[in-house]
Amino acid sequence: MTSVEEAVSLLKDKLGSKVIECKTPKPRRAYVLMKSGYHRDAISLLLETFDETGVSTITGTDLGSEIELNYHIRCRGPVVTIKNKVPKEKPQIMTITDLIPGAALYEREVFDLLGVVFQGHPDLKRLILSDDWPEGSYPLRKDWDPQILEKNAHNLGGQSSIVNGGEVEGATSSVVKVIVGPQHPALHEPERFSFKIDGEVVVDVEPRLGYVHRGIEKAAERLMFFQDVHLVERICGICNAAHTICFSQAVESIGNIEIPPKARYLRTIIHELNRIHSHLLLLGVTGFELGYEPLFQYVWRDREPVLDIIEMITGNRLLTAFNTIGGVRRDLKPDIHEKIKKTMNKLKKQMRFYKNIIEEDPSLRLRTRGVGILKPSSAKKLCVVGPVARGSGISMDIRRDDAYAAYDEIPFNVITYEDCDSWARLMVRAEEIVESIDIINYVLDHVPGGPYRVKVPRKQPEGEAVSRVEAPRGELLHYVKSDGSAYPYRVKVRSPTLANIISFREIIRGSYVADIPAALISLDPCFSCTDRMAFVDVNNDRKWHWSLNDIKRLKKRS
Amino acid sequence: MPIDLVFFLRVLIFPGFAFLLAFSLFCDWFERKVRARMQNRMGPSYTGPIGLLQPIADYIKLLTKEDIIPAQASRLLFTVAPVLALSLFVFTFYYIPIDGLNIIPNSSFEGDLILVLVLITIAEFTMFLSGWSSTNPYSGIGATRVLTQFLGYDIPLIVFAIGPAFLSGSLSMATIAKKQTVPFVALTPWTFILFLITLQAELGKDPFDIPHAETEIVAGYVTEFSGRKLAFIEIAKDIQVVLGAALVTVLFLGGPYGPVLLGPSAIWYTFWFIVKVLAVIFLLEYVGSVAARLRIDQVVKANWRLMMPISLLALALTIVCEPLLSPLVG
Repeated sequence: MTSVEEAVSLLKDKLGSKVIECKTPKPRRAYVLMKSGYHRDAISLLLETFDETGVSTITGTDLGSEIELNYHIRCRGPVVTIKNKVPKEKPQIMTITDLIPGAALYEREVFDLLGVVFQGHPDLKRLILSDDWPEGSYPLRKDWDPQILEKNAHNLGGQSSIVNGGEVEGATSSVVKVIVGPQHPALHEPERFSFKIDGEVVVDVEPRLGYVHRGIEKAAERLMFFQDVHLVERICGICNAAHTICFSQAVESIGNIEIPPKARYLRTIIHELNRIHSHLLLLGVTGFELGYEPLFQYVWRDREPVLDIIEMITGNRLLTAFNTIGGVRRDLKPDIHEKIKKTMNKLKKQMRFYKNIIEEDPSLRLRTRGVGILKPSSAKKLCVVGPVARGSGISMDIRRDDAYAAYDEIPFNVITYEDCDSWARLMVRAEEIVESIDIINYVLDHVPGGPYRVKVPRKQPEGEAVSRVEAPRGELLHYVKSDGSAYPYRVKVRSPTLANIISFREIIRGSYVADIPAALISLDPCFSCTDRMAFVDVNNDRKWHWSLNDIKRLKKRS
Repeated sequence: MPIDLVFFLRVLIFPGFAFLLAFSLFCDWFERKVRARMQNRMGPSYTGPIGLLQPIADYIKLLTKEDIIPAQASRLLFTVAPVLALSLFVFTFYYIPIDGLNIIPNSSFEGDLILVLVLITIAEFTMFLSGWSSTNPYSGIGATRVLTQFLGYDIPLIVFAIGPAFLSGSLSMATIAKKQTVPFVALTPWTFILFLITLQAELGKDPFDIPHAETEIVAGYVTEFSGRKLAFIEIAKDIQVVLGAALVTVLFLGGPYGPVLLGPSAIWYTFWFIVKVLAVIFLLEYVGSVAARLRIDQVVKANWRLMMPISLLALALTIVCEPLLSPLVG
């Protein structure tokens, strides 16, 4: 495994004069500030030297007169953050998509939210903000004023956001454009895909994200660290524990807080329970998407006891509010150990049954084997994470490579499949549930005594930290920068879906329309992203907003 | 048959229109309940005793909903297709012996089996038309899927139907049913099983619910329908299921004929008819519960490469076995 010292000395040797500053404050973390414009050399050097190197994300931070760009490059375990600064008046920088295509969406995100222009990017356009967002307004810049939205309210809900399907491209072509979403039975969250379809074959697809963008990164800057824990928990209802653990770790790393051993074990339990119910949810949804409803109903029935356990431990079924900076918020009483073990062993038996179904059932095999192929080489290039990468034979698991919580003391296997198809990704998840059950049983036997929480001051020292956890959907990254106050200066969240959705185009091109749900669901997409309701009458271009009172009035009238 | 009160009672009340409607709604409930129990769910249970009135409640709800015709749709076809689908299925039912007689007694003739198969084909085509007339990409894909799938399984279905006709030496549904002193399911089980699988595809049930696969193409060919038109299509589909099950009953299970114990035979015949149809629906639901939805190309391949030769082989087998079986045919 690559060590962070190796990476740093390599950069210093080969690009010595271009490296301005180099810090390694924590194990497996390095922050390297490069001379302006030399980030490409550093990144390509890392990509060439170390196998399994990918870009985790790009963080843009407004530092007043300049914008700092942090390229978080993961060399399996260590994360090397290559820093580069661009002036705010003329924020331009060379793209890295030609070095590593997986950075395409991250560059679009920074362009969208901070207005940095990536020269040479093949398709630089909005990623998450709506199409009617005012031009030249970049919400993550510190001088951004929300008033601009009020001033431009008459422009919101413009024509540009409406796309019509069914248009035939060219008179002789048989290609039809079909819009799937934002509302569609196969999607459980709003998201738009425009497919180009020739008969029953998919020619191309373009996803559009951002339908539920809530501006959490901006909101996080206005809340104190301990409040932000509850904010990041609401990024995703399913993998909430992963988000809170990840954020807490980042802040603990900035503040040099050592959490008690018991807290590390309790975090592991809740994290694994989270993974189990997330994977079970996905297996059920897969059954639904493939028209195998009994599988859906059975798996979701068996998911309930897991939620009951989470409720027993934390008091809530889904949003657990269990982790906090400095440990966890509740103790695990020894009297429920037995109950958890009993449920887990029952679930393990059921999992054998479900695994058998996925492995053996001929109709499921017909629909998932050889569908949605993602070759290991493309998986590496596109920097996919989690079960998607492991289904393509890439052994990558943050729990092992960049151990956190109690994972360095727990024996477990990293499941990989070489089949590279939807079926492999399903099998990875099914087997991971069994692994998670074993981890929970092990943790219950080895929970140390002592306190489960340490007191943490509200103010954190100046600093920055990259924290990674293996969320159920893959690598989750939080980058937190503190300026010495009780409020974070910048919080950056890269959820696993953003890393994986880029591979959808690769997966679906050339396959059948009927494979769309099977392939999409095998990525386990979870789209987090505006909430105000705007109504548009397309025919006469009238736009208006409805307040809650208007709706109440209407309701009374009817 | 003279056109008198009895004629009207037979056509409109029993075993005609009202009975068919009530029976189809009951079968709808039965289907949903069976499917729910298979999936470890409750199924309809609130409206009426054990949820029996749920299908009626659903249709009343649909009738109160707004009826929308898309601006681009072909208005005439869009309006006529649902009505046509329902009337064709109801009309087909008039050739099925229910209480030992047809709905209009003595309307059965030599060759009505062919008429029924043709009518089912035309009714299937109205479903394609309903999707094609609504000019929605999802409906369009759904409609082409109806036709593609249908081209594959319609021929095997007809070939399988030849088996019972050959054994009984008649093309009249009533005669085929009457001749089964030993039901043909016992004589030619191979044809029965294959006929059931093909029927599963014909009815668009799992694993062949490709034309209305909701996670791929929303509701397929019915996507643009709402209100009364949707109610017409849904009830047509209900009757189609009962019709399919009735076809199996007549061709393989001896139709309405069974032991008569006490009282008038018509009541017993109706009873046996209902029991057999429900048994067939149970089988259909059972198969539907243990399989994932297939893909259209897989179904087309399976139909042309497998089902076609198999159907011909099954027919050949029936013909070869005919001398052995004929003593058992009444």
